[in-house]
Amino acid sequence: MSPESLFALANPLALLGWLALALSPLAPRLADLVAGLVLPLLLSVAYGALILAFWTSAPGGFGSLAEVQALFTDPGIALAGWLHYLAFDLFIGAWETRRARAEAIPHLLLLPCLALTFLFGPIGLLAFTALRATRRATTQTGVAP
Amino acid sequence: MTFAALSEPLPRPGPLFAEPRLAAFGLLLTLSLVLTLAAAALDPRQFQGDSVWLKPIKFQVALAIYVLSLAVFARWLPAGMQESRGYRLYIAVVIFTILAELAWIGGAALFGTASHYNVSSPLMERLYGLMGVFAVTLTSASLVFGIAIWRNAATGLSPALQTSIALGLVGTFLLTLPIAGTLASLPGHFVGTPATGAALPVLGWSREVGDLRAPHFLATHTMHALPLAGLAAHALLPAGGARTATWAAAAAWTAFVLLTFAVSLAGLPLIPLP
Repeated sequence: MSPESLFALANPLALLGWLALALSPLAPRLADLVAGLVLPLLLSVAYGALILAFWTSAPGGFGSLAEVQALFTDPGIALAGWLHYLAFDLFIGAWETRRARAEAIPHLLLLPCLALTFLFGPIGLLAFTALRATRRATTQTGVAP
Repeated sequence: MTFAALSEPLPRPGPLFAEPRLAAFGLLLTLSLVLTLAAAALDPRQFQGDSVWLKPIKFQVALAIYVLSLAVFARWLPAGMQESRGYRLYIAVVIFTILAELAWIGGAALFGTASHYNVSSPLMERLYGLMGVFAVTLTSASLVFGIAIWRNAATGLSPALQTSIALGLVGTFLLTLPIAGTLASLPGHFVGTPATGAALPVLGWSREVGDLRAPHFLATHTMHALPLAGLAAHALLPAGGARTATWAAAAAWTAFVLLTFAVSLAGLPLIPLP
């Protein structure tokens, strides 16, 4: 399988996970299983296989920004990097969804955090953390993480 | 499970795997196949005409079967043996050597190069030698298990079954050692030069020239072949006859393996092209 066809397969898979999280009030356990475990693990297997297949022939390294940029000129490694985003962002999204449920955060408030995590991972994490902090500060009924 | 069904007439019911460390390790090896199988699907690199990941996959499968088989046979080890400090250290060493072999073979695949027969640099040559020592160490587990089961007076097994299991395990070590040693001392696993590369599916043995991987495979599966023969003898014959039949089967199997060894050394394929 070529990196291109794997890329074309991985994106809809990740989208499916985000859709499951967005609709999670309908089937919380299923959404958690799919988005919090099955899809991240599936993407992780593909990531691991790409590293095994392309790591030793890729240029660059981790030592400088220029080396990291060179590393991502290799299509196999660039795809691995992309799958890393998809897998970990989705895993974080599923964690946010579980936390929100446990802390009785309204789903409508979670949704923008999920959207931000989907698009710009760390910004979504910041938004969700800010949401939890403000709710805790104002209601004082928060649950420890 | 077919094994559970076959062992139904045996006393001492218990879990299928009686050695938790080897069972866990064997399952981990099985799980690790997911990664190498996926790598084989994605990696365009080839080594000697096959995916670079074919060899690591074969070794993962073979060593998982080996380790899980030992975990099953462990139920007939003498009581208390598994609790001893020396035994636990030994099992840890065996697990370490298997991990090292797989890291070496997988590492070579990662770099698209050879593991066995690789003497391209002083480091690789030394590693190859060290891995030979490790291979003997990991195979010695079958010898240790075989002797311990042979000497165990309280297995609860019929004499034919106990004999077949013990002989099978000891046989795996005694037959694998000279065959694998010869295999490693030659420049490659072929005896002769294949013209077309015709090979058996899955196993990959040449159908044109001698291939020493074939007798190695059969020798190493002695620990499965003889217990199956013992099980058949136990089920079909009276006790005295069953024990004699087990010994006869062990002798016949040994002769068969040595014959395949000789045939391969003579440069002939075990299963020639039609």
